[in-house]
Amino acid sequence: MNNARIFNRALEIIPGAASWLAIIFMILLAACKPVVCAVLIIVFDFYWIIRTAYLTTLLVMAYHKLARQKNRNWLDDCRRLGSGWQEMYHLVIFPVYKEGPEILRSSLKALEDCNYPQDKIIVVCALEERNKDSGRNAAVLEGEFKNKFFAYLSTFHPDGIPGEARTKGANATWAAKHAKAFISQKGIPLDKVIISCFDADTCVEKEYFGCLTYHFLTAPSPHQASYQPMPVYNNNIWHAPSFARLVEISSSFCQLIESMRLEKFVTFSSHSMSFKTLVDIDYWPVNMISDDSVVYWKAFLFHKGDYRVIPLYITVSMDVAYSHNFFRTIVMQYKQKRRWAWGVENFPFLVKGFADSTGIPLMKKIKRSYHLLESHVTWAVWAVIIMFIAPLPVLLGGAVFKQMSIGYNLPLITGMLLNFTLGASFVWVLLSLTILPPRPKDIPWSKNIIMVVEWVLVPLVILILGSTPALDAQTRLMLGRHMEFYSTPKSREKKA
Amino acid sequence: MLTEQRIRAFLFYLSVFIFLTGLPVILSSALSYKFDTRALKFTKTGLVFLKTQPAGAAVFLNNRLLTETTPATIRELMPGTYGIRLELKDHYPWTADVRVEPNKVVLLDQIILFPLRPNIKQVSKMQFDACFLDEEKGALYYVNYGEGSIYLSDLEGSRMEKVGDILGLNPPAYAWKLSPDRSKLLYFNRRQIGIAYLNAFNGRSIKKTPFIIEHPQGAIENVFWHSDNYHFIVIANRSIEVLEAKPTSLPVELVKLNKPAAQVFFNSRDDTLYFIDSQKAEDGMTYENAYKLELNARTFPFMDLIMPKANNE
Repeated sequence: MNNARIFNRALEIIPGAASWLAIIFMILLAACKPVVCAVLIIVFDFYWIIRTAYLTTLLVMAYHKLARQKNRNWLDDCRRLGSGWQEMYHLVIFPVYKEGPEILRSSLKALEDCNYPQDKIIVVCALEERNKDSGRNAAVLEGEFKNKFFAYLSTFHPDGIPGEARTKGANATWAAKHAKAFISQKGIPLDKVIISCFDADTCVEKEYFGCLTYHFLTAPSPHQASYQPMPVYNNNIWHAPSFARLVEISSSFCQLIESMRLEKFVTFSSHSMSFKTLVDIDYWPVNMISDDSVVYWKAFLFHKGDYRVIPLYITVSMDVAYSHNFFRTIVMQYKQKRRWAWGVENFPFLVKGFADSTGIPLMKKIKRSYHLLESHVTWAVWAVIIMFIAPLPVLLGGAVFKQMSIGYNLPLITGMLLNFTLGASFVWVLLSLTILPPRPKDIPWSKNIIMVVEWVLVPLVILILGSTPALDAQTRLMLGRHMEFYSTPKSREKKA
Repeated sequence: MLTEQRIRAFLFYLSVFIFLTGLPVILSSALSYKFDTRALKFTKTGLVFLKTQPAGAAVFLNNRLLTETTPATIRELMPGTYGIRLELKDHYPWTADVRVEPNKVVLLDQIILFPLRPNIKQVSKMQFDACFLDEEKGALYYVNYGEGSIYLSDLEGSRMEKVGDILGLNPPAYAWKLSPDRSKLLYFNRRQIGIAYLNAFNGRSIKKTPFIIEHPQGAIENVFWHSDNYHFIVIANRSIEVLEAKPTSLPVELVKLNKPAAQVFFNSRDDTLYFIDSQKAEDGMTYENAYKLELNARTFPFMDLIMPKANNE
């Protein structure tokens, strides 16, 4: 094993090792030094209360901004900037694996309905050759959308290209390369093209491209930024079971909160960026699962740390991942969250990139690496500490610990944390109701009540999906058991 | 965007400030440390937790009324002994001297405040000489020797009914034992054992005459029913005997006790008798120890011989 490989493995081991060491250390401490463990738990609980309050405030601020910009006519704003917007083209890539026309149709229809000239939009439906239905699906969609945009292309990503893994990034890269050839052939300058890479189920809002163009044209150094819309899971949210709905609403909230923390903000899921930059950084990674965030880090390293994510306070709507069977829904959600948590692979990628790159201030390297590591380790341990380790000093500490003041106070303080979280959850409930799409006609009114009451399931969601997917992903990376890309199955109720 | 980031920065530093200033307060409270503003140092304290049944009692600490009522936690108590009094209207007060130790909690969570006027209710208005409780069936039995009758009621004294005839002992019985199937009542004094037949719980009337078995051979210490509802084990002052529930029953001595008034326990689930005595062991030596005597049909052949009598009774 050469030095580079050893260095890489060490970096892969660090996040999982840090998480497991934190958990094992706390368990041992609970058994051997329950008072010290209780003190640490109280410190963590209090930190978590403050953090929850802080993040909930950021969520309210982000939501306020989202609501304020909801009905803004961004195209008019573009027009007011001058004629520059008319030179811009939008390249939209939908990497598709198993999703059929029933999923893509609504995404393409949303593009068609946008308040933006369709002759400035190039759509690429990036299909996988290994899916035997790809050709037929492509033909169906081409029949419906071929003449709706400036161009509509279908690409078929071959399986087994050396150096590639079966990932979304590999498919998107293949499609982007074809699109580049097409764009060059049409004589369109690459720096006048903004690329958006959307999941197959992504339905954009009517003003999305106006908003994106406006931000691109007004941003300083627009090629040194990615543009991140706010993902919501509204496509089938009224039909999804409570458990899955809660998880996805929480994901939307996380993204809204992250949009307020610009120094930590990284691209996630469907996002947009300069096509020129994408070409410069040699497209998405073709052998990594978390292509959506790695592409950001590639650009960040390419531009020597002078690269950022600009939040777009406009939503893109996707599907809630669920099945009609409760346990299959949990499994599906678990796998999806584990895939997201596999974003921990960014840590070795980034640190290696920092080691190889010059020109980025050392402090910036340390801060970004620490933020990335801390966020993943916190993800993997917070629920374990709150749900499982917090009661351990009382359980393992014995009669002597129970006679100590701290033994008496620990459950009270832990209870206070729970009460505070319940208080904060009222804010979450209110916000969740306001981002809901209108109730479909086939859904009874009583579902509104369920939408509120279902929040009592939060502890169950935390128990199952709080930390375990992240711990699972980090352990796999630590042990060198690399994951395959899990394409979340999409399921929608047929509309009446 | 800039304004928002400024607000966010303010919120962030405010959170950090609250964390850094709040944490010492929370930790010192959790660990029962109190900041002495005069000496400018932390001192160790203890706490007392009080929980009463019923709740809502006023708490007096060294005769000073506290604002909170039970359940209450009295914090930041300097180590030492405190007089605690709990008062609740129409209840007896509860008082105790409690020793508070540093960094420790005194848990007083099993305090019952008894009412000043106990809730006494007259269960039965009839005259009787003795009464005993059947806990298992939730029933009260009343014995009227003058009338020679046994009555039964529920625990509220209602549904009173006569369930059998009884003969009086001389001197009167001091203990009553119902057979496991509630068909017989056994009662005894030191020299006599009375048997009465009951018709409660089985719904049919038993036309059997009560009788008394004299036991002149030794003072009776205790009597236990065998699970066959026919035999009973008599613990006399020098022996353990078994008798049948019939007027002419003769005792069979199972064990000769070497210690007077030996402690005896009977497990009615498996008809096993445990007693403490000095008995000769297999090695010929005598040991004062606990012994076990199994009296069920499986382990005690003698019972096999007399069992058919029980079934044919």
